[in-house]
Formats: sequence, structure tokens, C-alpha cells
Amino acid sequence: MVTLKLTVLSILFGLVIGSIAGLGKVSKNKLFFGISTTYVEIIRGTPLLVQILIVYFGLPAIGINLQPEPAGIIALSVCSGAYIAEIVRVGIESVPKGLMEAARSLGMSYLQSMRYVILPQAFRNVLPALCNEFIALLKDSSLLSVISIVELTRVGRQIVNTTFNAWTPFLGVALFYLMMTIPLSRLVSYSQRKLGTYEVT
Amino acid sequence: MSVDKGEVVVIIGPSGSGKSTLLRCINRLEEPTSGRIILDGVEITGNKVDINKIRQRIGMVFQQFNLFSHLTAIQNVTLAPIKIKKMDKNEAMETGMRLLEKVGLADKADYYPAQLSGGQQQRVAIARALAMNPEVMLFDEVTSALDPELVKEVLDVMKQLAKDGMTMIVVTHETGFAKEVGDRVIFMDDGIIVEEGKPEKIFSNPEHERTRRFLSMIL
Ligand SMILES: Nc1ncnc2c1ncn2[C@@H]1O[C@H](COP(=O)(O)OP(=O)(O)OP(=O)(O)O)[C@@H](O)[C@H]1O
Ligand SMILES: [Mg+2]
Repeated sequence: MVTLKLTVLSILFGLVIGSIAGLGKVSKNKLFFGISTTYVEIIRGTPLLVQILIVYFGLPAIGINLQPEPAGIIALSVCSGAYIAEIVRVGIESVPKGLMEAARSLGMSYLQSMRYVILPQAFRNVLPALCNEFIALLKDSSLLSVISIVELTRVGRQIVNTTFNAWTPFLGVALFYLMMTIPLSRLVSYSQRKLGTYEVT
Repeated sequence: MSVDKGEVVVIIGPSGSGKSTLLRCINRLEEPTSGRIILDGVEITGNKVDINKIRQRIGMVFQQFNLFSHLTAIQNVTLAPIKIKKMDKNEAMETGMRLLEKVGLADKADYYPAQLSGGQQQRVAIARALAMNPEVMLFDEVTSALDPELVKEVLDVMKQLAKDGMTMIVVTHETGFAKEVGDRVIFMDDGIIVEEGKPEKIFSNPEHERTRRFLSMIL
């Protein structure tokens, strides 16, 4: 349950960060574009484990002390935000350019066109990719066990430590992950089929 | 060039002659590098004007329809009035339905663009542009992407619009349409207006050699 809670919270924050950074990646504003690109490159170029360690053990060095859970959520959000930014960028670019012009020609501002026309279609087009990101994040949250968050994987380890039986607990842990990821991947294929129905152009 | 209120101006010319560019400059989807554009006595070029306000007064219909594919026909029509004119939802729906009726698609209001034929999509696009109650409408080769049998239904809607007194600037290769409803025809080549005049005159007795050559290719 901790695993699910952390993942859901992180993906939500990740969506916010990712949408902003994704907008940055298609922005003509050089500063906005530069910041977004740098952020995405740095996060994608470093292992999540290292990012988690930096947030939890590194930030205190500059005077920011965090509890394990907030630290974990920050690390996961910032990380997934970078991947989501890329997904959002691809989504925006998947929407034909003419739609932006059509929206602008009706008198909508750039932001209104994005909000009412481009982003809804972009998100619809990348929904499967977003679900996949969610699944990946769910599994990656197991790395949080290194900063002593008692999530699924760590629970497994604790049971192993007390029972000296490695096989059953870890098998159980794997099963729990599957119980969460399988419905999600079903949702992905369902949404893909659903999209197909009014996507025919 | 200047266009009077209620006038229908048809622009013809070879590919790459700048017809689309001219239309797109009028609502500033393309920034003119020089020159001025004046709408109803007010200059709309320059940095001082609120371009979004201006664009609400200029409707545009594109070759590729450009309907919002995640919205139904009626939602396509009502989106801008509701979101930017802050029109009351019911009122927008009413106006929207009236417009869809006008283009002959009242029964298709709840269809998604992908479920409509090209001709139907283009008529929805016309209704969408009309929903902002524009003073002038720009049409850029709106029938060029359509199967031949669908061209007429779109032209008919445009003819009706012209009859109702709408000011229209129409880029098209449909000479029949130009002759029937055009008040004036403009021939463009290489980014300039080569000649203009009454449709009968341009089509039957053009002054310029370039116009003659172009007409001999399309007629
Ligand atoms: N007056 C002009 N000044 C500068 N560039 C121009 C001018 N007119 C046209 N162009 C350039 O010529 C190119 C083709 O113009 P445009 O797309 O408007 O042609 P068109 O007449 O619409 O052709 P088509 O029939 O293929 O749609 C554009 O890249 C545009 O930038
Ligand atoms: Mg053109």
C-alpha cells in the first residue's frame, strides 16, 4: 500500500512537472526551452538510485532535511517528470500543426489553444505511454527501500530476515507487484483499442 | 488591394504564387514583412493591437479542415464562443445548432470528425468559423482536399453564405464558383497581384499574358 501511495503521488506530481517541462521543450522561449531541456537531460542521464540518494543524503548537506517519505516522493516525482516531459513533447508534436492554427484563427491565445485543443489530444495520444511510465515507476519505487521506506520490497526483506526463508517472501513480493502492474497493462491495451475507435482519420 | 463589405473576392493563381500567404497575412498567422492591413478603418498590423481580438472578427477555413478531433461537431463549433467569448453554454449550443443546421448537418451534431466525410467535416469547419460571428471569412482552397462528388455540398454552403451578405475572400480553383458568386477576381503570380477585375472579364478577356497562360492551363 505504501508502494502504491508513493507511486500515485509521484506520478501526479510528475505529471505536473512533466507537463510544464514538456511545454518548455516545444516552447520558442529560449530560456524556458533551455531549462526544460537541461532538466530532462540531467535526470535521464543519471540512475534513479543516485537521485534518491542525493535527495535523501545529499540535501541535508545544504541544510534541507527531509523525512524518508517526502524525500522518496520528491525523487520519484522529479525523475518521472523528466520522462513524462518527453512523452508530453511527443504528444504535442503528434497533434497536426494545423490545429494550432485553426485554434489561433478563432481568436484563442497560445495558452488557450494549448489547453483546450492541443493538450487534450496530446494526452489522449500518449495515454498508453503514460500508463507504461506509471508501471515503470511502480517497479522503480522498490529502490526507495534504500532510504528505509517500508515499501513492498523492504517488507519482503524484513520477512526474509526474520524467517530466514528467501524464496516465499520474495515470490510473494513479486506477486504483489504483478497484481498491480497487470491490471495497468490491461488498461493500456484497453485504452489503445478504445482510442482506435474514433482515431480513424 | 481592398475588399468592400459584403463583397466576394476570388483569388486565383498558380501554386506557390502566394495566395495562402496573402490570406494568412490578413489574420496574421503569417507576419507581413511590410505593408499595412486595415479592418473597418482600424489598422491591425503592428504591435499595439490585440491580435486575438482581431482574429475573432476574421473567420478562416483551411484546406485540411483542421477540426478538433477529440470534440464532436457541435463541440467544435461551440468551443471558442464558450471559452473565449464567455458565452453562456445554452446560448452557445443554440447558436451552434442553428449554424450546423445552416450547413445541413444538424443531425450530425454529436458525431466525431473521424465519423464524418470530408465534405461534412469541411462544413463543420465553416460553421465553427461562423460561430465567432466574424465580419469577414477567408477560405483557402477549402475544396481541394475533397473527393469530386463532395465539392458541391461545400460550395453550396459558401454560395448561401455569399447570398446572406458575408464578406468573403476565397482562394479556389473552382472557376464555376468564381463566375457565379464572385464580385471580383484577383489573379496572383510570384507574390504579386497581376490583375483584377470582374469574373467575366478576367476569365474571357484577361489583359496580361501571365493570366492568359494560367487560365489556359486550368480551363
Ligand atoms: N509577397 C510575398 N512575399 C514574400 N514571400 C512570398 C510572397 N508570396 C509568397 N511568398 C512565399 O512563397 C511561398 C509559397 O506561397 P503560398 O504557399 O502562399 O502559395 P500558394 O499560392 O498558396 O500555393 P498553393 O496553390 O500551392 O497553395 C511561401 O513560402 C511564401 O513565403
Ligand atoms: Mg496555398
